[in-house]
Amino acid sequence: MIRTAPEETAGLKQGEGFLSLRGLTRRYGDFVAVDDFNLDVPKGELVAFLGPSGCGKTTSLRMIAGLAPSTSGHIVVNGRDITGVPPYQRDMGLVFQSYALFPHMDIAKNVAFGLEMRKVPKAEAAERVREAIAMVRLTGKEHHRPAQLSGGQQQRVALARALVVRPSILLLDEPLSNLDAKLRDEMRNEIRDIQKRLGITAVFVTHDQMEALTICDKVVVMNHGKLEQMGTPHEIYEHPKTAFVAGFVGRINRLAGKASGGVAEVAGLKVAAPGFNGPVEVMVRPHRVSLSTDGVQADGERHALPGTVTRATFAGDILEYEVEAGGTIMKTEAATRGGEAVLAPGTPVTLSWRPQDTYVYAAS
Amino acid sequence: MTAIDLPVAGKRPMSPTAVVMLLLLPIAVINAIGFLWPVVNLLRMSFRDSEASGALLETSGLTTWINVLSDSFTLDLITGSIGVSLFITVLTLVCSYPIALYLHRCSGLWRTVLLVLVIAPLLTSAVVRTYGWIAILSDQGLIANALLALGITPPRLMFNLTGVIIGLTEILMPYMILALLSGFGRLDPRFEEAALTLGATPWKTFWRVVVPLTAPGMALGCLLCFVLAISSFVTPKLLGGGRVFLLATEIYDQAIVTLNWPMAAALSIIILVLFGFALALYTRALRRIA
Amino acid sequence: MDERPISPVLKGVTLVMFLFLLAPLIVVVPISFSGDAYMAFPPTSWSVKWYGAIFHDAQMTAAFTISILLAIVVTVISLLVGLPAAYALVRLKPRGAEALGSLFTAPLLLPTIVLGLAILLVFAPLGLLGTFQGLVAAHLIVTLPYAVRVLSTALATLPIPVEEAAATLGARPLTVFFKVTLPMMRSGLVSTAALCFLVSFDEVVLSLFMTGPRLSTLPVAMYHHVEQQADPMVASLSVLLVVLTLVVVLIVDRTAGLAKTFVK
Repeated sequence: MIRTAPEETAGLKQGEGFLSLRGLTRRYGDFVAVDDFNLDVPKGELVAFLGPSGCGKTTSLRMIAGLAPSTSGHIVVNGRDITGVPPYQRDMGLVFQSYALFPHMDIAKNVAFGLEMRKVPKAEAAERVREAIAMVRLTGKEHHRPAQLSGGQQQRVALARALVVRPSILLLDEPLSNLDAKLRDEMRNEIRDIQKRLGITAVFVTHDQMEALTICDKVVVMNHGKLEQMGTPHEIYEHPKTAFVAGFVGRINRLAGKASGGVAEVAGLKVAAPGFNGPVEVMVRPHRVSLSTDGVQADGERHALPGTVTRATFAGDILEYEVEAGGTIMKTEAATRGGEAVLAPGTPVTLSWRPQDTYVYAAS
Repeated sequence: MTAIDLPVAGKRPMSPTAVVMLLLLPIAVINAIGFLWPVVNLLRMSFRDSEASGALLETSGLTTWINVLSDSFTLDLITGSIGVSLFITVLTLVCSYPIALYLHRCSGLWRTVLLVLVIAPLLTSAVVRTYGWIAILSDQGLIANALLALGITPPRLMFNLTGVIIGLTEILMPYMILALLSGFGRLDPRFEEAALTLGATPWKTFWRVVVPLTAPGMALGCLLCFVLAISSFVTPKLLGGGRVFLLATEIYDQAIVTLNWPMAAALSIIILVLFGFALALYTRALRRIA
Repeated sequence: MDERPISPVLKGVTLVMFLFLLAPLIVVVPISFSGDAYMAFPPTSWSVKWYGAIFHDAQMTAAFTISILLAIVVTVISLLVGLPAAYALVRLKPRGAEALGSLFTAPLLLPTIVLGLAILLVFAPLGLLGTFQGLVAAHLIVTLPYAVRVLSTALATLPIPVEEAAATLGARPLTVFFKVTLPMMRSGLVSTAALCFLVSFDEVVLSLFMTGPRLSTLPVAMYHHVEQQADPMVASLSVLLVVLTLVVVLIVDRTAGLAKTFVK
């Protein structure tokens, strides 16, 4: 039998991706944590693995890092199949949710650890450590212990430690979720800036859709171990392929209906549903729904649904309404302009939205 | 077969199972030589025949066991040891409960200091603490001299059961206190406050709320103290002065002085059986409480 | 902090019980400074002669040396044997790890009087009685369970991501263990060493079975001394032992306290 090079067997042609996953699968007994995961990440891109906890995103990251074994499938980096290579020979930089700094070493020694393992000459190592610490703006803290630093500073050290070895890929496992809201925004931008400046390929695991949408080139939405959709943040948000993606990324209103002959009937509305037959879910995002008190009629331009206000919530920058309509509670939100009256519960209103803002999925 | 069907072995020279075996080998050897084999051997020894002088014979039989279970001396020894140990256990519980309750109620530095004072005796050799009791209980000791100064003829407090009971109770108190404390976690002061606001007197609150809630801790402490009492050797030997006969002291005498090893082995196994009974009783009590 | 008043009755009873609990330790101190030839409380005269007597008692000094040596050897072996065992049980989790763990800590369930006899019966025919090796082996039986238990807890509470971080940075498994795992276990190692040292140094019953006329440990020598004549020398020795114990505990507290500043 002919021995073939692993990357050819894995079905990968050169140039498809710097990091490629081919049928990556992880089973624990009957439970499938990651199911037939295929992905190509071009060089220099920042990709987010987004999904609820238990969706397999962290397991996937750990398999890429070599910290968890894969049941089947391949991991290919720059044309080299690294499946089965132990983590210490993978050349990945991993940043942990818990920072995972060495508590018994100072900051400089933490950052120098990877260089020491690679037997980088002392003088060069010292220079690179200095640069890395400067890059994360921690110059002067070299001889502090991790415990003496704040959470944000610790995470910056972890970033410097991962990057100083110039890894082929940077892996970030929920790096911001232990930080408070303000620091989170700051660190998010900092990670993105550094990643762009170094042109490093990076995978960013998160359960926070805001993080994924705001800083990543591509977003991979996962659920129950399966890839639901992959695309740019814009594609994911504007054109969710599945009901799960529509519901997980951004807020959504759901209406149950029935489709036949390419048209879905929902609460008296007729919605275009090409290719659907049987029960469907029709969805629209709250901020794409307009609310008016002067009875807009449904036409080709807008879908319209009458209802009654059940709750009004003034949240400063936005005004939210809950409206009983179409046999369910629909939500709307609109930016406040100042001076508008807040409608009392019981007020009859009409909800309307554009057909292109309407998503239709087969009911599960 | 293609290359990628093979799992990539990395650079590990040994399989995980081999590594585990290698790491566990030293402790397994020590455990086998110093624990498993001696325990099995102990059981076998109790069935070995011996001459009247104590010299071991190559034959086995039930002679030793028949002697142990029919001789009134050994039977008294067993029942006496159980009785004394039970009495000491109850006494230890009564003496330790207030300390544990107080420790549970107080907090901060004061609690730490008191806790250290409870643990300190544990870190001190039983020989030292027993010696301390000799200084208190002997004929020239603290109590005797204090009573004499008051013109009272002091009773004998040492080289008899009284001394053994006093000494052992104190020696076992730290164990009981720690066991009680570990079980006091469920005792939220708000339960007591609730009972008081519902009209229960402090005394009733103690019996109806505090005692039931702390019962698991008491059961654990009693098990521990009974087991330690019936197997303790140094204190009964030194404070009993050879006049108090208990299972543990008899095992030592049979093994070292009389050199009747089958008898010593049989008595040891009786202690282990009593342990088993105590443990079973504890498990049943715990289930009833819970 | 919400303070709840503690009833004066409980306070009083607790005070009495604490006096009872600490009485034997308290009386030892004045007796150690007794000037009498025999033990009496209160002593009729005061001196430090009994402290001097310890160092002129050849048997006591020899037993003391043996005890220190024994405790050190037992502690070192306990760490060397206990650490690999704990690592295998906690980290590699072989099948039956729990059963093995129970087996290795089972010797603690046996009363030392029974364990001592059982070991005596096996060691006597092997000619190990009255030898240093025999004492080491016997003490290991009771120190190893503590070592395995404390080290297992220490290992189980270590944050695994820190070791994984080292691995992704290029450290091989052995390097991870020596450069990351072991330094992080520092306080656990110190506590284990202290515990093993104290357990070995204080052990009486096992040693009583194992020692002979030519080889004795300090607690055994003290036991025999008290059995024959309870003179104030034992009190002086006891005070020295309490001080030694305090020193060990302080060392642990210092290092464990230091370790706390490392870990958040």
